[in-house]
Amino acid sequence: MSASSTTAGSRGGVVSVASREVTRAEVEEFLYREAQLLDEWRLDEWLTLIEPGGRLEVPTTDWAGWDATTAGYFVADDYELIQARVKRLKSRKAHAENPHSRTHRMVSNVLLLEAGAETVWISANFIIHRYRDNGAYTYVGRYEHVLKVDPDGLRFRLRRAVPVMESMDPGARLSFIL
Amino acid sequence: MAQQTPVRPLGATGDGAMIDEDWEALRFRVHRSAYRDPEVFRTEIDRIWNHTWLYLGHETEIPKAGDFKTRTLGGRPLIFCRDAGGEVRAFFNACTHRGTVLCRHSEGNTKFFQCFYHAWAFSNSGELAALPGDDAYPDDPAFRASMALRQVPRLQIHEGFVFVAFDADVPDLLTHLGPAAHYMSLTAKIGEHGMTTLPGVQLYSVKGNWKLAVENAMDGYHFAPTHNTFVGYLRETGFAVTDDDQYAYDLGGGHGLLVLTGHNGRIGMVWEPRFGDEEKTRTVAKRRELEARLGPELAAEVADASRILFVFPNLLLFDLEALTIRQLEPVAADRTDVRAWQFVEVGEPESVRALRIKTMVSFVGPGGLATPDDIEAYEAVQRGITATADSADPAHDWSDMSRGMANEKQGNQGRSIDEGAMRSFWRRWAEKVGAGTSVAGDPPAGTPAAGPATGGAGK
Repeated sequence: MSASSTTAGSRGGVVSVASREVTRAEVEEFLYREAQLLDEWRLDEWLTLIEPGGRLEVPTTDWAGWDATTAGYFVADDYELIQARVKRLKSRKAHAENPHSRTHRMVSNVLLLEAGAETVWISANFIIHRYRDNGAYTYVGRYEHVLKVDPDGLRFRLRRAVPVMESMDPGARLSFIL
Repeated sequence: MAQQTPVRPLGATGDGAMIDEDWEALRFRVHRSAYRDPEVFRTEIDRIWNHTWLYLGHETEIPKAGDFKTRTLGGRPLIFCRDAGGEVRAFFNACTHRGTVLCRHSEGNTKFFQCFYHAWAFSNSGELAALPGDDAYPDDPAFRASMALRQVPRLQIHEGFVFVAFDADVPDLLTHLGPAAHYMSLTAKIGEHGMTTLPGVQLYSVKGNWKLAVENAMDGYHFAPTHNTFVGYLRETGFAVTDDDQYAYDLGGGHGLLVLTGHNGRIGMVWEPRFGDEEKTRTVAKRRELEARLGPELAAEVADASRILFVFPNLLLFDLEALTIRQLEPVAADRTDVRAWQFVEVGEPESVRALRIKTMVSFVGPGGLATPDDIEAYEAVQRGITATADSADPAHDWSDMSRGMANEKQGNQGRSIDEGAMRSFWRRWAEKVGAGTSVAGDPPAGTPAAGPATGGAGK
């Protein structure tokens, strides 16, 4: 089910998970810090935000809620592939990102959708501007993340970026972390 | 130094040729205006896309009566649908009244396509079904018949792959496909219960000429340097990529084939560590199933080797770790839209389906660990070839595809890491668009093999 169809959720931006409260402010802070790490290409630090066993997903633009075991995706990484992706992107031989794209991320409309036993399901909107080779590309979409709630912070169990564009524009590849 | 013959000085061919083939100098080059010039692009649309079979889609994309997809092919908006009687059809997506785009949805299921503008409606087999205010039109069935939805002149299906032609006078599809038909059939035989496309279509666009995408797929030479990080990833999973003893085949008609045995395993057929232990056991059983159903020889041909098949001009069939159908849609000289479908076995276990999707998109597609570097290559070529355009020294405005010509001249099978498959594509291209070709020296005598000997890949 897609998050956009869910109307239930937190009241006042607070949910209870595993005997502690998670606030929208905490989730916003987490997403802003993540955006900063990605924009600054601090990928090793970014990787620590993913729980071992976590997943990274980007569905295709025709996505109608299919999961990555039943339909084509742009990205359907398990944890090993996330690690391989980070290792690749740090290499000078990742030609598509050497030199790195300049990216600039705006994250907003953060909602706490549903609390689980040890997770919180959140959504947020994003706009990412990417610049490379005198080209400018805009990626517009929605995050639908499942965050593991630790006593002292949050980590991604599922990090899903759902593009809302009808297709990837000319030159708008997904060689970076969306 | 493998080259025995002195290399001739570079220079213009003098007769305006776009392909310069020299079997004494062992040089093959393509004039870079072929990727760049809007006039060349218009000629391609006119002489290739308007007069050749084109891959439209797979019939499993529209499994039920009334299912439809809309899709632009060669710049023409089309409706690809299955009519009420179950027949696959292709219509121009324009109302016969004033030309309004008739169906503005990308997919769905319908009995009728109704134009919003004046409410004319057409059945999914094309008849004009509603003509509001028809008292003011001729009271004659011939009038309604003349306003039926325009069908694409030719449509034929091979192994579920639906092709159309905008020219009624093209030869039969199987004639066009030639030996390529066999390789499509091999892929279609993988699944005990058939093969199907999945939803979740990768739609993306590259800032490069469509022929760069064709070259890239037929070019094993780029694999090791371009995909250095992917090869490194495979090495860490316990698989060593090799380019040894792998070959490229000219299938005629501009179609080409790479047969690869050292690049990857094949889910269900050739195990590699990345696929996991459960899949190792299943591979043994699946191979037995293939042999029982197809016989040992055909089973080996289906299963042992990976294949990248190019069907001129717009279909790439990647039969590798898993399968992807890729369609190329030229938009401008410097822009190509790409559509890619996962192609899977009907009825396979959920865990295998999941492995297939994960594995394939980790390699192929704009979010994979490899394709972005291919896209980088097309786009860097498209930008780079402006450097030599219209310069005072025309000698440098050429791209070189000579690799392996000495070997080819000796009558040996071209290797996957040579550029022979690209050369045969370009010869066919030149023939279709009427581009000048300059040939010096004696081309190799004899007909090259249209594919590996039956029962396995390479020799």
